[in-house]
Amino acid sequence: MVSTEFKVALGCIATRLAVMCLFPSLQQQLDKSVEFSTPVTSFRSLQEGIYLLRNNIQVYNHGVVHHPPILVLFLSLFDSDKLISIIYASLDGLIAYQLTKMTKVFKNLKVQSWLPGLLYAVNPLVLLSCVSRSSIIFTNFAISSSLYCILTEGNVILSSVMISVAGYLSFYPLLLLIPLLGMLKSWRQRMFSVIVSILSLLILLLFSYNMLGGESWSFLTQVYGSIISFQKVFPNLGLWWYFFIEMFDTFIPFFKAVFNIFIAAFITPFTLRYHKQPFYAFILCIGWIVLTKPYPSLGDAGFFFSFLPFFTPLFGYLRYPIISALLFLHAIVLAPIFYHLWVVLGSGNSNFFYAISLVYALALASILVDLNWAMLRIEYDNGVPNFKLKVTQI
Amino acid sequence: MIGSLAYCILGTLLVGAVAQDTTVPQIGVDDSLWYPYDETLLLKPLPNNDLLLSFTFQLQSEPFDPAVSSHSFDAYEYYTTFPRAIPPLLDSTATRQFHLRFTRGFWDALSWGQLPHGGKQAGASGVELWSLVQAADQEQAFQNWKKLANSLSGLFCSSLNFVDKSRTTFPRRSYASASASPLFNDTENLYLMRASLPNEPICTENLTPFIKLLPTRGHSGLTSLLDGHKLFDSLWNSISLDITTVCTENGDSLCHYEMEAHVDMATHVPSALARNERPIPKPLDGNSLRCDMDKPFDSYQCFPLPDPSETHLKLSQLFSKPIKNGNLFANRPTKICADVDRSTWTAHLSVDDTIYSTHDNCFELSNDQNESGSGYDFILESSDTTQVSPVDPVPIHVGRSLTGNGQDRGGIRTAFHNDNDTPVKLIYFESLPWFVRVYLSSLQITSTTSSHLHEDDIITDKYYLQAADRQRPAHLEFTMLIPAHSDIVMTYQFDKALLQFAEYPPDANHGFEIDAAVITVLSPESEEPVYETRTSTLLLSLSTPDFSMPYNVIILTSTIMGLIFGMLYNLMVKRIVTVDEADKIMLNSGLKYKLLKLKEKLLKTKQTKID
Repeated sequence: MVSTEFKVALGCIATRLAVMCLFPSLQQQLDKSVEFSTPVTSFRSLQEGIYLLRNNIQVYNHGVVHHPPILVLFLSLFDSDKLISIIYASLDGLIAYQLTKMTKVFKNLKVQSWLPGLLYAVNPLVLLSCVSRSSIIFTNFAISSSLYCILTEGNVILSSVMISVAGYLSFYPLLLLIPLLGMLKSWRQRMFSVIVSILSLLILLLFSYNMLGGESWSFLTQVYGSIISFQKVFPNLGLWWYFFIEMFDTFIPFFKAVFNIFIAAFITPFTLRYHKQPFYAFILCIGWIVLTKPYPSLGDAGFFFSFLPFFTPLFGYLRYPIISALLFLHAIVLAPIFYHLWVVLGSGNSNFFYAISLVYALALASILVDLNWAMLRIEYDNGVPNFKLKVTQI
Repeated sequence: MIGSLAYCILGTLLVGAVAQDTTVPQIGVDDSLWYPYDETLLLKPLPNNDLLLSFTFQLQSEPFDPAVSSHSFDAYEYYTTFPRAIPPLLDSTATRQFHLRFTRGFWDALSWGQLPHGGKQAGASGVELWSLVQAADQEQAFQNWKKLANSLSGLFCSSLNFVDKSRTTFPRRSYASASASPLFNDTENLYLMRASLPNEPICTENLTPFIKLLPTRGHSGLTSLLDGHKLFDSLWNSISLDITTVCTENGDSLCHYEMEAHVDMATHVPSALARNERPIPKPLDGNSLRCDMDKPFDSYQCFPLPDPSETHLKLSQLFSKPIKNGNLFANRPTKICADVDRSTWTAHLSVDDTIYSTHDNCFELSNDQNESGSGYDFILESSDTTQVSPVDPVPIHVGRSLTGNGQDRGGIRTAFHNDNDTPVKLIYFESLPWFVRVYLSSLQITSTTSSHLHEDDIITDKYYLQAADRQRPAHLEFTMLIPAHSDIVMTYQFDKALLQFAEYPPDANHGFEIDAAVITVLSPESEEPVYETRTSTLLLSLSTPDFSMPYNVIILTSTIMGLIFGMLYNLMVKRIVTVDEADKIMLNSGLKYKLLKLKEKLLKTKQTKID
């Protein structure tokens, strides 16, 4: 008798492999689309890193590689294209597996335990992101593993280590350590978790340094510097790119700082405000980072949405789910069209795609705000839904 | 002021004295006083009625002792024919050599064969500069190089001052001819730097200062022919200037500078001559049309004949003026040679209506033969212009183009075509601006002629330096071996980064010029460079933002961010109450309540006043 988790995970892997086999050119197509690939997560940049590493050319001497050294080293071990497909598919399968396992932890959740996993498996955003071989899947896997470790096994060490790994892979998930601390029971555990995270991060960085040999610390600026200071201006669905193209030179450093502070702005407030629902706070933080990060892709959003089925009790309180959903659909349908109009046909200009990135930000924001409201409302009702009651905030 | 006046008067007196003394046979002019200057012109008819004119000028500076710094108290400078502007420039930038190229046009290698001088004097389209600078480290070398470029920019009225870090490369094996040069200081190294401005328009402004560097300054000798209108009207033209430091190895260790300057042009003779007859390009009238009578011909139809194959070409027609004189002061006379097929071509020199010819078609213009001042003229005659002396076949044909559609990504495709019976070994040098984000992993070598091909067999050595944003260009240098009788195609892909809106040039939608690739063909035995050629430059279009939008974008994005922040902040800090409770609270503390209170207060005071 195979357990549900395995079925879900196998289903997930099977769908991905099937799509990869049926549409072999889809990977390159998606890797070129701005929605699924960014300069810091694209597979072709990862391939470039592998190529440079194999040819003994300095990998992080500027250039196009923004992936962390260990990831490049790890993938350079695999020569065959099929093997890499299998790695990506099985990582997604593992995430689906973990989601299913996590569902089982929440005993009073009235959804079928296979539902979140299944939704993850068929979610087109995640599916296409996996097919595009965006390296964001490694970060997602690390975040999901961290949650999995702390929820199902209460394993503080592994959970903290996985947060460090996620931070090592794409920097901003490091902020998720704060909501993770919220999920821990005692201050001793929290101290312990912080120390473990810092230590594991240091080990990862030192290992990377050691691995690159003569290249010293150049990978830090190339991997993290380019993320934090948004060095590679390339269109994406985020708020950053057009703002910094059009910004006046003198103000750029100032606004880069502002945007970075903006990312960190709501992490601690969420953790503190929802300290009774730390898992919820954690997911809100993921959503917030997806909204504000410099190089977002639809793979991030898809990962965030995969956790929404955990909050089915809140759904009754949502004030404008239809509007949020329509805004989001509007954005993801029009984004490729407007991008094509601007870049390929030349019949539209950059403002078209910029407008869509604003709509996308609004859609994510309305989802976040609505979720917040719903949680506040259910707190007010003490967990016993009373939809009739009209409440307001003063 | 007074000094210069005195100088002028003295000058006139001297000239007067010389003019009076014409009968005296060259008193006091010792052979050793003739200056080291050499000028030659080579004319070579090319197929299709084209003509290659190659001017060569060579001169040397006075020897100097490199050990004595020019800043030292005892130092003195002594210039004869060598341009006064150059040595201080070389001295202050510690430059051992520099090579400057101004090139425009298309060299039709398929019909014209090899570039003149083995391609070593022809640059990439636009301006190209490379130099060998002596410095303690790379940073200092770059500073010197920047100074050199700025000075040359002023000297030649070109945009070389735009040469900066993002355009400078340090070639490794290309430009190898520039590598041998002495060191005066063991602790310092020589740095070879190279930059090119592909979108530089080459015009008279660049030619005039160039002529001023030469001792004849356009007044006599071959430089009197050089005229911007004629030179830049050609199909292909190239101006080159090479300055090198040459030192003698033996005991006294004296050095001197050598300057070699070339002006090469390939011109289509019939159209150049037609320009003289009809300066305004009007249509010909019916009588002067050359029609093919074998084909239908009436007042409405005319099938044009090819250009006539007989020609009688005078150099004075081509340049609208004769050669004024010999060079007047050099140790060797001005020389004009014609490289023609002797069966159908003849070359003559005409002086004062007298026509001379020689057995090797080379003529020396002496200084004293031409007394009437009518100048020298050179005449090329041919009964069949299709017969020209054979052109040297090009060792390799290279074509480069951009691939891909869309303004966010693209690729570069370089096709090598080797016609010879032997494989060709070459160095492929390419420098790409930083906003071209190259993926070397996408490098592919394909061939249309052979299916079994290994990348490593074609590219034997690979050097790649990634671009750094706004700091340095991408630098590729491949040693390649192109097999005999084969077509090899090399492709790779790149992304195009967006620039900040102020970094776009005023005509952003025109596109960005990309440097030509430099191909140095090596001799199979000695690995010495035997031929150099450059591909055409490329025009890359980047996607552009809307330049009218900065304020709108700042406002809109900030609004969205403010909106999100505000909504979340409100949710987090405010208290939740039922609507009824809220109404009650508002009744006692809201804005309406306060207004009401205020109104009451005002009314009350009014009431009391009335009372």
